[in-house]
Amino acid sequence: MIRVLPSDCEYFQSSRSFKSPRDNWTVVHRSTLELSPVVEAGLSQQEALQVLQAARTDAAGGGVTALELLQKEAEIKSIVTFCSHLDKALRGGIPVGKTTELCGAPGVGKTQLCLQLAVDVQVPQCFGGVEGHVIYVDTEGSFLLQRVVDMAAAAVRHCSLLAEDEEQRVAMETFTVETILSNIYMVRCRDYEELLAELHLLPDFLSERPKVRLLVIDSVASPFQQLFDELSQRTRLLNSLAQRLIAMATSHHIAVVITNKMTTRLRSGQSQLVPALGENWGHAPTIRLLLHWEGPRRLVTIFKSPGHMDATVQYQITADGFRDTDQSEQPQSKRRHTQVDQSAASC
Amino acid sequence: MNWDQLELSPRIIAAVRRAKLQSVREVVCLSSLDLQTLTGLSLSDVQQLLTAAATACRRHPPVTALQLQRGEYPSIESGLRLSVGCPVLDQLLRGGLPAGVITELSGESGAGKTQLALQLCLSVQYPAEHGGLNSGALYICTEDSFPIKRLQQLIREQPSLRSDVPPSLISSLHFSNNIYIEHTADLGSLQVCLSRRAPLLLAQGLVRLLVVDSVAALFRSEFQADDWLERNRQLLTFSSALHRLGQEFTTPVLCINQSFVLQRVPCSGFGLGQSGDGSADTAASPGDSDPWRPEQHPSQVRSGVCSPSAPRRPRCCCLEGGHQRSPEL
Repeated sequence: MIRVLPSDCEYFQSSRSFKSPRDNWTVVHRSTLELSPVVEAGLSQQEALQVLQAARTDAAGGGVTALELLQKEAEIKSIVTFCSHLDKALRGGIPVGKTTELCGAPGVGKTQLCLQLAVDVQVPQCFGGVEGHVIYVDTEGSFLLQRVVDMAAAAVRHCSLLAEDEEQRVAMETFTVETILSNIYMVRCRDYEELLAELHLLPDFLSERPKVRLLVIDSVASPFQQLFDELSQRTRLLNSLAQRLIAMATSHHIAVVITNKMTTRLRSGQSQLVPALGENWGHAPTIRLLLHWEGPRRLVTIFKSPGHMDATVQYQITADGFRDTDQSEQPQSKRRHTQVDQSAASC
Repeated sequence: MNWDQLELSPRIIAAVRRAKLQSVREVVCLSSLDLQTLTGLSLSDVQQLLTAAATACRRHPPVTALQLQRGEYPSIESGLRLSVGCPVLDQLLRGGLPAGVITELSGESGAGKTQLALQLCLSVQYPAEHGGLNSGALYICTEDSFPIKRLQQLIREQPSLRSDVPPSLISSLHFSNNIYIEHTADLGSLQVCLSRRAPLLLAQGLVRLLVVDSVAALFRSEFQADDWLERNRQLLTFSSALHRLGQEFTTPVLCINQSFVLQRVPCSGFGLGQSGDGSADTAASPGDSDPWRPEQHPSQVRSGVCSPSAPRRPRCCCLEGGHQRSPEL
């Protein structure tokens, strides 16, 4: 409710059932062009301008300077991927507060990386992790519990080997496979309507659980591929989905990781593999990683990022999860390693 | 749509009825601004409407992985696996085919795909303690006729293949009674089978395994190279139908695909599972540090697909991906 209005404006409030400052923001929206809804309530133009002024200051909430943003960003941690080369190329890992897209062909490792991040987000802060919880939205049925248990056990082993001081040893008492599993929330959606419904309910879920630091949607492409006949509706729904994801990432301070598929684009007789969901969707995520094969090797390329140079890094999927390749066995990858170093150093 | 079921004030329900909104699914697809325009409600009322509609649409609330591990939600994560009948393959698959996901089995002609599928139709009939699902199988043939003689031979040889199962149990099972065979020569009849007969059999618990042999045959023969858009459409409809059946009835689905050794051509016309380099049978399965090497596991095919006691000529079929796959482009 607006507090600083003269009494006759309260008549306006009660007669129009505006219940919250957000409703007044609607007044500002609609009435920038015409004051008639406000005037209909029987107010003079002066009083109407007062209402609009109060609504504006309420809704805007003041601006933020770039220095404040820089300080905030310096505090933001990233979620490690356990592949040190990729973490180096991303300058820490998957950033919190932004949307990251993983695209790639089937079987290349997108779901593996998503499951790995669901475990890595919980690494305690004294080990350099974010110590957060995760909500995993599964649209393909690819969330396999056995795999999560494997990765969780491997992460616990990895951290207990690294534990040096007392603080880390104490943290390891609560960083166990059971606690890791209890902090992963999973929900399965079978089609795009269920996915949109889940996203409507997510902001409330995130407010109730402030420790959540990661939202994974695996994958965002499959439910929308059903809409191959209604492309305009698909574009509209994807646009609103993208906006909501960005809003959730910034307001709830979480990392949003989405998985996309590849599709074949035919152009003048040539065919090319491109990320699915169209070029419009390409603007939605802040960072895009492309996972692909090159012979027997798996590579990940950063191909869209405002803060990192384009880089390509090799990784492998082991029984423990998403990891670096062993440098001593792969002489070619050493060259790639120095390339990544140079790109990271020049950032 | 009975809007009274939602916990909303009568004013909001009246506005929804006036706007002629048909279902909660329709509401969920509209933005809050669109809903405000359609219903004339305020923003906070629209938020309430969206929350109520989304809660009604939602299949289940978020559950933790720990609850899934404890088996508190068997419909979401049953933890059931269908054993293949060969201990080596079972170990590779960490128990067998997972229930509720589609597994693709691809390989060259004559590699043994149909043999493995027949073996699975028998192993599904054993009780859970022997790796089965205590139910029958639906086998959909799209090209050749069903190899009934081979099935009968496999049934006769079950005691020697499945030495881990007591012979009294094996002889008590009437294997051929529980395998339902459908011949679908074209896409239309395949869709009828998946939309009518399969759900009926699954709902009655008569069947807990779906086999499609093979997927490539129908999609390869019915479309010309120019019809790729229509083929995509049909493929997506087909794969989402299979997904739904698998998840709704917690059933493993096995799709047999044909693969060819191709040049590095991004988009080529034949087998389905390609998406880039075309080689569908040499990809490492995720979760293993050693990629699956067909030569290390030759199989002998007389009494069924199993690891051999003596070295034989390598006859291998490759399990692609292993966990979940839908034929996709």
